[in-house]
Amino acid sequence: MSADLLRGHLDRLLLAVLADAPGHGYELGQRLAERSGGELGVQEGSLYPALHRLERGGLVESAWSAGDGRRRRVYRLTPAGRRAVKASRQEWRAFSTAVGRVLGETG
Amino acid sequence: MRTIDDYLAELGGALHVRGAVRRRFLRECRDHLADAAAEHGEHEAVRAFGPASEIAAAFDVEVAARRGVRSTFATVAAVLATGGSTLALIHAASTDTTAPAWWAVAFFVGAQVAAVAAGLALVQALVLRRSTMAPAEVVLLARRNGCALVAAGVTMFSAGAAVPGRGSAVVLLAGPVLACAALVAVMRARALARRLDGHDALAVRPPLEDLGRLVRVPVPPLDARRLLLVTTAVAAAGAFARDRVEHGSVGEAFAFAGLEGLAVVVCFLVLGPALGLRRR
Repeated sequence: MSADLLRGHLDRLLLAVLADAPGHGYELGQRLAERSGGELGVQEGSLYPALHRLERGGLVESAWSAGDGRRRRVYRLTPAGRRAVKASRQEWRAFSTAVGRVLGETG
Repeated sequence: MRTIDDYLAELGGALHVRGAVRRRFLRECRDHLADAAAEHGEHEAVRAFGPASEIAAAFDVEVAARRGVRSTFATVAAVLATGGSTLALIHAASTDTTAPAWWAVAFFVGAQVAAVAAGLALVQALVLRRSTMAPAEVVLLARRNGCALVAAGVTMFSAGAAVPGRGSAVVLLAGPVLACAALVAVMRARALARRLDGHDALAVRPPLEDLGRLVRVPVPPLDARRLLLVTTAVAAAGAFARDRVEHGSVGEAFAFAGLEGLAVVVCFLVLGPALGLRRR
């Protein structure tokens, strides 16, 4: 999938994978790849500016954690982040339905 | 073949941001690359991470935006505190002093510019707090904050010069101290944003559209001329009403409203481009 199509959606994708469980950056990238069947082609480095942006907006919080003997920064959703996931799903359903109708009519 | 260390050196070299946030970012990147290399090999890990210059640029922009938003909250707190200190200064003034006209004009203009600039910055920061922010937007935010802080300083200085007196040093200094701290935060955000590509693009943000986005109410778009007209009319009407409430005659109230309107027009013409209200 082209980077242009993906632009603007990375934040909502990250929120969605964080809704499953907290995780560190690499783990979140893996979940994103698995759930999309590898179709999205996200540059893994771009996850970090996006995670910091979500943190700035109060949707995500993070802390260092030493789970498997290595210190890693683990991200989790805040209550505002959980509300944002819900809103984002509704918004996306309405948007994709509308775009689908238009493309269906012209395609 | 490029190793993780080579890649991280390139990433570090491309980053403009310094300090703890940079160390945290590079640490996270190193952890990520180590995990990816363990599964897919070092070459594939580095390739999948993306070009170092692009990742560094995206991170720099994000840190500049975060600093811009935080410095806006500091600015609003500092403007409110300076307002409190200024009121304390006025209340502590000798009762027999009369304010010279120029200091009084500077006081009223400074107070209104501080409130408007801080309000514009706050609305912009709240609208963009969860979105990507271009470097030019961060520079505009810094200009609005800087203008608010300088105007708050002018207001307090004018009050002190116009009606001298004695007051509690802690109360009087609380505002200026917070203003200095906020100014440092604003300059820090501005300095980082100005090192990034695209910082010099012209940023104009119509304030009513931002306000509409914030409160989720559709606001009809107003061009700069109409915005000036509406603002001047509202400010003049407010000045007229205030003067009448303070028992001024109708003639005095009209004169006061005219002065207020004139001050709004002059401030809009002089500060409009800097505050992102109109193009130069």
